[in-house]
Amino acid sequence: AGLHRVFDLFTSTAAEPWPESATLYQPLKEDQILLSDCASSLAVQAYLRMCGLPVQVVCKANAEYMSPSGKIPFIHVGNQVVSELGPIVQFTKAKGNSLSDSLEDVQRAEMKAYMELVNNMLLTAELYIQWCDDATAAEISRPRYSSPYSWPLSKILAYQKQWEVRRKMNAVGWGGKTLEQVYEDVSQCCQALSQRLGTQPYFFNKQPTELDALVFGHLFTILTTRLTSTELAERIKSYSNLLSFCRRIEQTYFEDKSS
Amino acid sequence: MGTVHAKSLDPLPMHGRDLGLHPDDLVEPPEPEQESKQEILENKDVVVQHVNVQGLGRTKEDLLGYEISDVFHAKNLIDVMKKSHIARQRLLRLGIFKEVEVLIDTSEGSDALPNGLDVTFEVTEVKRLTGSYNTMVGNNEGSMVLGLKLPNMFGRAEKLTFQFSYGTKETSYGLSFFKPQPGHFERKYVKECSPPALGNNASTDLQCWLNCVLCFSLTLNMYKVTGQFPWSSLKETDRGASAEFNFPLGMTNHTLKWEGVWRELGCLARSASFAVREESGHSLKSALSHTMSIDSRNSAIFPNRGALLRINQELAGYTGGDASFLKEDFELQLNRRLFWDSVLSASLWGGMLCPIGAQPSCIADRFYLGGPTSVRGFGMYSIGPQSEGDYLGGEAYWAGGLHLYTPLPFRPGKGGFGDLFRTHFFLNAGNLCNLNYGEGPRAHLQKLAECIRWSYGAGIVLRLGNIARLELNYCVPMGVQSGDRICDGVQFGAGIRFL
Repeated sequence: AGLHRVFDLFTSTAAEPWPESATLYQPLKEDQILLSDCASSLAVQAYLRMCGLPVQVVCKANAEYMSPSGKIPFIHVGNQVVSELGPIVQFTKAKGNSLSDSLEDVQRAEMKAYMELVNNMLLTAELYIQWCDDATAAEISRPRYSSPYSWPLSKILAYQKQWEVRRKMNAVGWGGKTLEQVYEDVSQCCQALSQRLGTQPYFFNKQPTELDALVFGHLFTILTTRLTSTELAERIKSYSNLLSFCRRIEQTYFEDKSS
Repeated sequence: MGTVHAKSLDPLPMHGRDLGLHPDDLVEPPEPEQESKQEILENKDVVVQHVNVQGLGRTKEDLLGYEISDVFHAKNLIDVMKKSHIARQRLLRLGIFKEVEVLIDTSEGSDALPNGLDVTFEVTEVKRLTGSYNTMVGNNEGSMVLGLKLPNMFGRAEKLTFQFSYGTKETSYGLSFFKPQPGHFERKYVKECSPPALGNNASTDLQCWLNCVLCFSLTLNMYKVTGQFPWSSLKETDRGASAEFNFPLGMTNHTLKWEGVWRELGCLARSASFAVREESGHSLKSALSHTMSIDSRNSAIFPNRGALLRINQELAGYTGGDASFLKEDFELQLNRRLFWDSVLSASLWGGMLCPIGAQPSCIADRFYLGGPTSVRGFGMYSIGPQSEGDYLGGEAYWAGGLHLYTPLPFRPGKGGFGDLFRTHFFLNAGNLCNLNYGEGPRAHLQKLAECIRWSYGAGIVLRLGNIARLELNYCVPMGVQSGDRICDGVQFGAGIRFL
């Protein structure tokens, strides 16, 4: 199915230029969006800015259900609707915009491996902390997730989502982990990223790639989101090159509003 | 004096012969006595002293009081037979008896009057639990329905039903509790409108009158229904509960209902338009509605005469939930018999949806128009506002139809199978649009009057039972606007409610 979809994109979208009306959809920023979705959305926004493709961000309460795959964020470009960073990268590639074209095959494989690492470690840790940690789930996740809906639908949807995520955690083997173990995993992931980054401005050469966008999305969101404890943010702050990496990308790509 | 044993009176007999009298009673005695016997049967005043019901198990007796009390008012024997017959029909209509037999006998006992009669209803109650399997035809879809029913649960004709339906477009299940309340109104109503005269149309007239006899009832429902709507590329899952109270007021029947539904909308295909994709998600609707209906037709499917008026309003949002709107719709049908057994039928439907508050209306609440059950000659619900081929419905609509029904030419199968068919010639028209509620009513009327879609044609209609119809028509659609999907030529339709 994935191959078929990519083929679809190639044949039907290659010719059309990127329209001005391209839109990115995510849940409501102030009251509804959760850490993991915010991170994924920021990663896609960073990637599109790095490519120089303009996109408008629209917040909708039912964004998760509008998405064809059920995941946030998704973009609406012309007639096409594409969700998640992976397919969006493929989509922009079909339109002739790519950040990783100049990479060699070995580097590209390495990039894919690190992206897998971020998805398997950071994203899963975010989901775990949001939904499997009872304190966070009760204080933050459930109230925020159910805020657009009225009672009793709010309760039903919140618990349904929690149950679904916990089942997924069990399936990937994270069900038995404790919060401490999860923090350890995050630390190890950050250590690997920090080592790969070293003193370079970006992960590969001097140009950003989709890996930079993904890492920025997750780390920046963790650093700037209020959780029940600051433990997660502290673990990341201990890697100074990652901090400066985040600040650099923020200043380069996200502070054009003031200018 | 002899026993008059009256059983299964359909139609009501007018001659002594059908009463099952022993022929010897009439033949043997000399002429003068026979005449006096006939006089006794038809003219003599009688008094009904006792009305008994035998065979009650779990049914409570006070429930039956209203149904059989009228028998006491009978003045002569024919009247007793008439009223007993009507009481028998009413007892059967409660749905709690499998069989009812009527036994009219002279009174016996110490307080027996010489012209006293005892009427006994011998009833057989239905089983406590029944199962059923049906196939059902709805509006252009078919389904298989399994049912479990507990009739007469607590002895007062309460009914608990569980139904599971698996169909081409829909799967659903539902639990329903129905409690009728025989009320004082029934007696009043019986006095105002007399039982039908006996004649050729005895059975249909009786049926019509019994249909008018209404009752208070309370219905509680819990259900899950999924539906697919390919004309909008939409799929909808509703999980809800409702409580409905039905009561008559004079000639009209009123229903007050509260309904709470959890609606889940989604795209039916990946190629659904973005306008439909934007409607995906969950919402909760909590609505109060009121329906008033007057139905004086003699049949729901091929009425010869009478009219139907049904007005419905629904207010959502004031008892909780996300959806907030006021919705009005009405249905009017007039029937008149013309020359040669043909019937002219005119119908008018209309409705309006006003969202309350800032949020726009939901695709699941809007009205749809077009199709074999609506404006014929157009695709199913394929008129009006649309986006990339998906029809989004509208906030206001009207639709009208003019039909001429005639029996089949040359009347094949008359008196039997042929009576289920009719040919009909029709003229349908309608319009559907969204309204900008900032403008006044004049602008709205103007908008509904421009770009009217209409169609004409002829076809054959088949009646299924007393509820559904099949139609095969040749249609010519006119006034087609860009975006409408038409179905000119032959169109087939099956359903319950037709324009």
